[in-house]
Amino acid sequence: MEDSTPPPPPEEQSPPPPPPATHTGSPTDFLKGVVGKRVIVRLTSGMDYRGVLSCLDGYMNIALEQTEEHVNGVVTNRYGDAFIRGNNVLYISAAEAF
Amino acid sequence: MENSSIQEPFDLIRLSLSERVFVKLRGDRELTGILHAYDGHMNLIMSDVEETIMIVDVAEGAPAGQPATVNVAKRKMEMLFVRGDGVILVRLPYCRICRCSCNQVSPPSRT
Amino acid sequence: MRHNFCPLGSLIFSVFKTLTDQQVTVELKNDLSITGVLKSVDQFLNIRLDSIKVLDEARHPHMMAVKNCFIRGSVVRYVQLPSEHVDTQLLEDATRRGAPT
Repeated sequence: MEDSTPPPPPEEQSPPPPPPATHTGSPTDFLKGVVGKRVIVRLTSGMDYRGVLSCLDGYMNIALEQTEEHVNGVVTNRYGDAFIRGNNVLYISAAEAF
Repeated sequence: MENSSIQEPFDLIRLSLSERVFVKLRGDRELTGILHAYDGHMNLIMSDVEETIMIVDVAEGAPAGQPATVNVAKRKMEMLFVRGDGVILVRLPYCRICRCSCNQVSPPSRT
Repeated sequence: MRHNFCPLGSLIFSVFKTLTDQQVTVELKNDLSITGVLKSVDQFLNIRLDSIKVLDEARHPHMMAVKNCFIRGSVVRYVQLPSEHVDTQLLEDATRRGAPT
């Protein structure tokens, strides 16, 4: 049960991050590059959240701004700021170039 | 974004302490209540809680695409511990950018 | 009431410890609700209840003879707490101080 384990140490404050990669790069590079950009977050339930990615942590807990909830392509809710618990995240997709 | 610095997602939750928040849970449940405590698992303690349970009934033999009827059950609880593993999303009580209430979570209806 | 909150995670454990011998209602993920006196709790939020009563006994007749139980923390959805025994100001301060960083 992942909830029985203690939370991890704080996310590492890495030294100077490499410049955001465009086409290649690790998943970490992708996540660093996509902070502050518009993203689509798909949950395992199939719901989409579109918004500006404020930040995320090692669990993929996500803070989104200007959030729109989409179900089957239809906007069902608008939230200013939203926190998404990471275990529900299926993927994060960049919705604009970076 | 610059003025209210948020370095990690939990900072967002911290801003909601003692405010009314909206919590989306697994199993088509939603809560609104005043947030008093949380931890790294997203275990929550909330007061003045209203729970909304969506019960979707798909009519038997209904043609595909026909909207299913959604029954809503509500109930209130004074002080509630919520186990973090059921949490999907927490919505803030206000919009951080304009500090307006465009994101305001309405208090539970007094019924 | 004096808390000795440690950072990271044990805050809610501490809250439950202060509520021992109080009446709580535990709602499980299978929708079973059990009211009883909180006898003990551990770091996983496993819970021991005494003098239990199941809310919907008609639907769970096998529970009628059960007087006490141990509930694994992971099957809990909610616990309804006695609000008069929860100091919300203290909770908020402790959460701000010990919140995950």
